[in-house]
Amino acid sequence: MRILVVEDERRLAQNISRALREDCSYAVDVASNGADGLFLAGSSEYDLIVLDLMLPKIDGATLLRRHRQSGKRTPVLVLTARDEKESVVALLNAGADDYLTKPFDLGELLARVKALIRRGKGHATPVLKVGDLEVNTIEKSVRRGGARVELSPMEYRVLEYLAHRPRAVVSKSELLEHLYDFNWEKFSNVLEVYVSGLRKKLGHEAHPLIHTVRGQGYVLRDGV
Amino acid sequence: MRGPSLQRRLMAVVLLSVTALTAGLLLAGRFYIHRQLLRGLDDSLEGRAMSVAALVRYPEDGSTDLVFERGLLPASLDPRGRDKYQVIGPNGQVLEQSKDWPKDWNFATSSSRRSQYAWLENEQYRTACLRNVPILDEETGIPVSAKQLLTVSYATSTEGIGRQLTTLTAEIAASGLVLLIMSGLIVLLGIRHSLRPLRDLAEQAGAVSPRNWSFAAPESARSVAELQPLIASIDTMLGGLQRAFDQQRDFLASAAHELKTPVAIQKSSLQLLIHKPRTADEYRSGLRQCLTDTERLEDLLQRLLRLARADQWAQGAANRDLTPQLLSASCEASVARFRDWATTRGVALNLVTNGDLRVLADADDLELIWGNLLENAIRYSPSGKSVTVTIAHESQAALVSVADEGCGIGAEELPRIFERFYRGDPSRSRETGGVGLGLAIVKTLVEAYGGSTTVSSEPDVGTTFVVRLPAISG
Repeated sequence: MRILVVEDERRLAQNISRALREDCSYAVDVASNGADGLFLAGSSEYDLIVLDLMLPKIDGATLLRRHRQSGKRTPVLVLTARDEKESVVALLNAGADDYLTKPFDLGELLARVKALIRRGKGHATPVLKVGDLEVNTIEKSVRRGGARVELSPMEYRVLEYLAHRPRAVVSKSELLEHLYDFNWEKFSNVLEVYVSGLRKKLGHEAHPLIHTVRGQGYVLRDGV
Repeated sequence: MRGPSLQRRLMAVVLLSVTALTAGLLLAGRFYIHRQLLRGLDDSLEGRAMSVAALVRYPEDGSTDLVFERGLLPASLDPRGRDKYQVIGPNGQVLEQSKDWPKDWNFATSSSRRSQYAWLENEQYRTACLRNVPILDEETGIPVSAKQLLTVSYATSTEGIGRQLTTLTAEIAASGLVLLIMSGLIVLLGIRHSLRPLRDLAEQAGAVSPRNWSFAAPESARSVAELQPLIASIDTMLGGLQRAFDQQRDFLASAAHELKTPVAIQKSSLQLLIHKPRTADEYRSGLRQCLTDTERLEDLLQRLLRLARADQWAQGAANRDLTPQLLSASCEASVARFRDWATTRGVALNLVTNGDLRVLADADDLELIWGNLLENAIRYSPSGKSVTVTIAHESQAALVSVADEGCGIGAEELPRIFERFYRGDPSRSRETGGVGLGLAIVKTLVEAYGGSTTVSSEPDVGTTFVVRLPAISG
């Protein structure tokens, strides 16, 4: 998963992005003003945007409105120092999906981020199921046929992304886009290494889960 | 609890004046009618007296005894026939009188008036007395003798005119009452109609609230001349209220942001640290980071406390021993403190002093004032420009101006820069400035010393702050 944090308070942005990286192993980009935020939100595929309201250059509410006007459906979690009803109502009406008032609880922020991503991809529960495969996005644990499968963090991220979109073909570039932030070089052959590792660890050669669609990408599905 | 109503007051005033007018008319009318009736009665009485006098004749046989032709007496004025008469002959003897002529009635004396009142058994009579009436010849109507003169008195009851007077007074009073009722109704309707614009205005003004400041005086009220000043003051008052409300709301929002942000940073830093087990080095660097974060909160608290202290000092609640401070030395120290920072930003710092002006102040407060002004000036100066501090003398005041050559402050922002927590940048970003208390502290401190702070700014030319403090001699 890849998250955009738009927050001008350098320290706050640092803490949020670090928590998202450490706890959820998400890829995180940080924009320190509204203009950069709007540019990044429009140019890359993000699974969620954490948006501060008071921003230099373009304020958060305007950014949110413009982002929605451009047809983007990325879930947006707003951070605000105000908690008056009217401003919250206006925010939700402008297209925000959820909000947190400062000072917020970092644990709550992480839980809301996960819930928003899950719901944004059409899942109501944190446990994603494909055939006999179970991906628990809270514990970040994977079971196949009830048996626990140990994965490396990167392997887990690849599997979680695929599990969010079962039966859909996910291109390599899409996977890369959602797995890495701008600080990482993107090498598609690295991806192939993770996928082959995943296949090995998930086992059951007779019933593979991750299939390669030649020239298009990967698909996670039960059966052929 | 409602006070006296304007409508009721107006009604009372109008009805009272109409009542007074009617009462006055009634009195005047009664007096006039009474006089007219009395005059008519007197004329009738004199006529009757003349008629009675004409009944005195010389007998045809030539004797000197005068005769009175009682059979030809005129009809009584009183419908009950109670008229009385008396004829006194040339020699003072009673020649003839009605049977019921009271013995004590005597109007013949020369001093008595022609007409007067007389009383008989509690009944008022009006009398007429004609003196020196000649005896006329029966056929020619010419006085027979200039020496044979009569005195004739005639009296009738005034009951008749009394009754007429009562009837007429009652009629006037009745019409007065009708007038009173009618004018009351007209006034009531008139007042109601005239007060409608006031009610409309009140209704419109009542709809104003902190959520909705729009107020447009209704057309009906605007067309009333007397309501113009009221509408104008409502407009002015609402404008002031709205500004105060907006200022208060901005203050709260800004203060919330300034207070919540450092707390949010600190809280998230600590939560991040305890989120999972870490190495001792990680804990150490995390705690060091938390300490740094705390400094920001500490700085904010310090500024707030300074402001509160300046407030207290300005309100005269605190007493301090002040010593005369040499302005040039105070400014020099501040300029020296900022010189390094200015140099790294490529901004030149100049100080122009003028003699040894002194002000009565606390040295730390002065340093805070110059420091805040210098910090702002240097922060908003582009590289290559200069900031100039000038000390000047003007009658009883010491003037310190801090001028920069920055981009200037917009005209709409200028009146607000001394507000607490006001920031020109709505994002309140740390990158572009402080918390927005510096100038508020300057203003409050300067005012606490009985001085004033003014600012002038021109876009792309620069901004100049002038602090005026009372100078002391010596």
